[in-house]
Amino acid sequence: MSPRPVLDVLRRHRRAAALGCGSSMLHQTCEALVPVAIGLAVDRAVATGDVHAVVLSVAGVLLLFAVLSSAGTFAFWVIDRAEFAEAHHLRTAVARAVLRDPAALGDRQVGDALSVATSDTRHAAEALGLVSFLASGCFGLLVAAVVLLRIDVALGLGLLVAVPLLVLGLQALAPRLEARVHDRQRTAGLAAAVAADLLAGLRPLRGFGGVPEAVRRYHRASSLSRRAAVGAAGATSVVVGVSTLATGAVLVATAAVAGTFVARGRLDVGEFVTVVGMASFLADPVRTISHCVQQLAVSRAGARRVAELLRPGAPRRPLEDSPSPAHVPVPVPTVPGEVLGVVTTDTATADAVTAAFAAVPGALVEPSHTVLLGQTLADALASGPVPAGRGVPLAAALEAAAAPTDLDLALHDGGTNVSGGQRQRIGLARALAADRELLVLRDPTTALDAVTEDRVAAGLRDLRAGAGTTVLVTSSPLLLSRCDRVVLLGPGGRHATGTHAGLLDDPDYAAAVAR
Amino acid sequence: MSGTPPVGALPVASGRRSAAVLWRTAAAHPADLARALSTTVLSSAGTVALPLLLGRAVDVVRAGEGLTPLVVQLSVVALLTALTTALARRDAERLGAAVAADLRERVVDRSLRMSPRVLERAGSGDVASRVTEDVELFTASVQLGAGVLTALVTVLLSAVGFLSLDWRLALAFCVVFPVYAASLRWYLPKAGPLYAAERSVAADRSQVVLQSLHGAATVHAYGMADLQGDRVEAASLRTVGASRAALRTFARFSMSMNGAEAVGLSALLLTGFLLVRGDVVTVGAVTAAALLFHRLFGPLGTLLLSFDEVSRAAAALNRLVGVVDLPAEPAPDPAVLARAPRARVGLVVRGLTHAYDETPGAAPVLHEVDLEVPAGTSLAVVGESGAGKTTLAAIVGGVFPATAGTVTLTGPAGAVDLGALDAGAVRERIGVVAQESHVFTGTLREDLTLARPGATDAQVRAALAVVGAQDWVAALPGGLDTRVGPGELPLSPARAQQLALARLVLRDPPVVVLDEATAEAGSAGARDLEQAAVAVVRGRTALVVAHRLSQAAACDRIAVMAAGRVVELGPHEDLLALGGRYARLWATWSRSALPT
Repeated sequence: MSPRPVLDVLRRHRRAAALGCGSSMLHQTCEALVPVAIGLAVDRAVATGDVHAVVLSVAGVLLLFAVLSSAGTFAFWVIDRAEFAEAHHLRTAVARAVLRDPAALGDRQVGDALSVATSDTRHAAEALGLVSFLASGCFGLLVAAVVLLRIDVALGLGLLVAVPLLVLGLQALAPRLEARVHDRQRTAGLAAAVAADLLAGLRPLRGFGGVPEAVRRYHRASSLSRRAAVGAAGATSVVVGVSTLATGAVLVATAAVAGTFVARGRLDVGEFVTVVGMASFLADPVRTISHCVQQLAVSRAGARRVAELLRPGAPRRPLEDSPSPAHVPVPVPTVPGEVLGVVTTDTATADAVTAAFAAVPGALVEPSHTVLLGQTLADALASGPVPAGRGVPLAAALEAAAAPTDLDLALHDGGTNVSGGQRQRIGLARALAADRELLVLRDPTTALDAVTEDRVAAGLRDLRAGAGTTVLVTSSPLLLSRCDRVVLLGPGGRHATGTHAGLLDDPDYAAAVAR
Repeated sequence: MSGTPPVGALPVASGRRSAAVLWRTAAAHPADLARALSTTVLSSAGTVALPLLLGRAVDVVRAGEGLTPLVVQLSVVALLTALTTALARRDAERLGAAVAADLRERVVDRSLRMSPRVLERAGSGDVASRVTEDVELFTASVQLGAGVLTALVTVLLSAVGFLSLDWRLALAFCVVFPVYAASLRWYLPKAGPLYAAERSVAADRSQVVLQSLHGAATVHAYGMADLQGDRVEAASLRTVGASRAALRTFARFSMSMNGAEAVGLSALLLTGFLLVRGDVVTVGAVTAAALLFHRLFGPLGTLLLSFDEVSRAAAALNRLVGVVDLPAEPAPDPAVLARAPRARVGLVVRGLTHAYDETPGAAPVLHEVDLEVPAGTSLAVVGESGAGKTTLAAIVGGVFPATAGTVTLTGPAGAVDLGALDAGAVRERIGVVAQESHVFTGTLREDLTLARPGATDAQVRAALAVVGAQDWVAALPGGLDTRVGPGELPLSPARAQQLALARLVLRDPPVVVLDEATAEAGSAGARDLEQAAVAVVRGRTALVVAHRLSQAAACDRIAVMAAGRVVELGPHEDLLALGGRYARLWATWSRSALPT
């Protein structure tokens, strides 16, 4: 990835950018020629009563619009298509980069990363359109300049200086407006967030009778949002008023000067109409140019953020719940094929042991926080190709984990529509189906009732027997009583090994597994 | 999610009904409404007047007369137009902001207080999407609405402008309308489904991307980066396809708009040509017509291009009004309310039967359950998954009504059926903590005082102490000012549950219903929560769905449920001695965990 990501985007879509630029320039030229055509038609046909001229004028207008419309639509079509393709390319690249190596996320929160994958990739792709429209805006300005200067040098120069100056002057008002508009969006977002939060917690909220207070809080957020919207309306109205005044002033001044020129015979009536029409047209390309320049900054920033995520070797930080490539040796040696229970007296040790196992090549550590991927149960259970010569039938894995068996079961938002216990059991079934030589499970049954937990413990044991080594980092007596061997990692680095029943005499152990 | 609305979905108001509600809401701000309408009309009038005056300038210069009076007129009109345009913009947006605020407040109010039956049937997803997406869409459409209003009035007044020049020019201008109408008739029916498809695949794509980010650790653990990457790519590719389909249609539509402009301009020039030849109008009038038409490209484009967005905002409004129009919960009879006990409340459950599926013959989840919880005592409910524990707790807690049977609150002054009370009255008496926990976004203090507005810090700390959360809260960098909730400081499920219990302590209802408050907390967390729950139950009438049997053993009495019925009932020791279902559960659960 080069240090100029926007250029990379353009380079990847050279043909689309060139075609888009060209047709968009043609479109702008036609737009600039509309006032010319009106002027010519009035002067040569309407004012003279020449039938031949009017036929020619109408044919000319139709032809002009035909070219204008085709070129404009083609430009729009070519550019948008390329933007979609580029956004898709970047989005997929970002997703793959994060998936291959979660550390690519760096210090980003998931929300930030999501906005890189969705909005920044889109902004980066928009560079294609922005560059094309920037070029065509400049070209439209050029065409207008040529037309005006050919009609009258003084008038043309006056307009060519005054209009861009006014438009750019108006941009000076923009920061004030932007601040207010930002405030409006922000408070609207806050109000929406309050509503979403209350709705997300509606059942608990109703449970403790918090509804009246919740309604009061939302009203507060909503009226803040309303006040900000009123403030933004004030700022918008100033900008709209000033810009209307500026265009009006240019129009009136142009009409006055051009009218005087007509009276003196320096211009004809058609040229008067053209110049007046041009006075209102000129603002368009100038506005386009300034808009594109501003948006290019946004696009560049987006492209840079995307590039940062894609760049290999960026500063990294291990994910909290991801296995860190720790080089600590596994503190508990395993015997191949056994079911080993690991009991710790504090969470930090449990975390460290789990992380250490994760660094063992070929080990599968099911993350303690179950995340289900995909739209259906079948999706959620698929975890890529099973190593050669291995494999557990899905039905057996689901049975052992006491998980739902309808593979078409729809999972919304990562399984929020099933209970926590079901999520946990589906995650367990996925781990069992993946069938690895070394399987490490951390507190796999915390959300299950005792009867189900007992069933799952038995199923797990049966399924893993002869399939590989299983490590259970847990304090559940139901799981531990089914382990071949249990290791206690006690306070002060004290280890004790035995069976669940045997270790119960150890007070630290008994405390750790007591319910 | 796409697809047909589920049975029991929330109502959607008709367009006519929505328009009436919108108008009434706007009319509630009569001064704003009058100002917005009058300034918009004035500003549009100015916009139309300018090209007309410019046309007259052509006649004046052709006649060789002085331009000065006309330039003065032009200047005055330009100045007034600028002023009224600014005011129109401000007033219209202000009115829009007021209307949007009124509507969204009513929608949220109704949603939070929605009858439990409607809520459970509609599902929280539908409610949430109305309160968030539809409200945002409608609020954001205020600026669009102001622009559309101005454009509409300008186009209408332009017709008057053309009429002032000559009725035949006005007629020539009107040629554009059939063309616009035809292209809209072609476009709109296609655009709706195309954009809906685009939004739906885009939502699926976000879902897949979000899942991939949330599940990055899982994907890494399984080494399934390629599989998940392919899923993202496939979802993203679907959005590209949908966007391109929508783009093709839109491109054709925009071409037809240019076509209408070409036809309109040609018609005006031809008509003008004939009228000038017949000496009916001046060259200036034709110039004015052409310039006016040229200036209308903008407003006409605004109207046509926003058609889609406006119809989307209208659809959102229909869904919002559907919520606003839901019947309000009837106020309880004051006589009943007066009789309802506030202290020393006991519970009597009689013949409770419940089926989620309302088709006759569907298997009920609860069968004729009879229970009593005398004031100040606790009853644990135990049983396997699917035995009906959670349903029983929800009905006794007043979360939703049962299909049949009664729950009665008893007290020294009399007894009242739960169904005769409104939500507010129920919540003054019964507090519920269910499996679903939620940390409300904001400071820890804000989160807790939701249960008791105006509680002092001392009261909040005392409540935290009851549930054993004072130590970790005190250790937080900001103490009670620490921001919590999604996207802020993450709290473990156990701590979230402690907060839920602390809210109940602050709220201090005489009856509490606790349902599996310890699930997913991990063993150590579960023990803390169990102690917290015991502290909350102490001194209150309590129904506790016990996930862990030690929690059941701590209650005064235990009801064992199986297949929707209470099969055993009594104190822990009695049930153990009975040697039935509870004794077996206890044996399984405590298998060698507690050396006896």
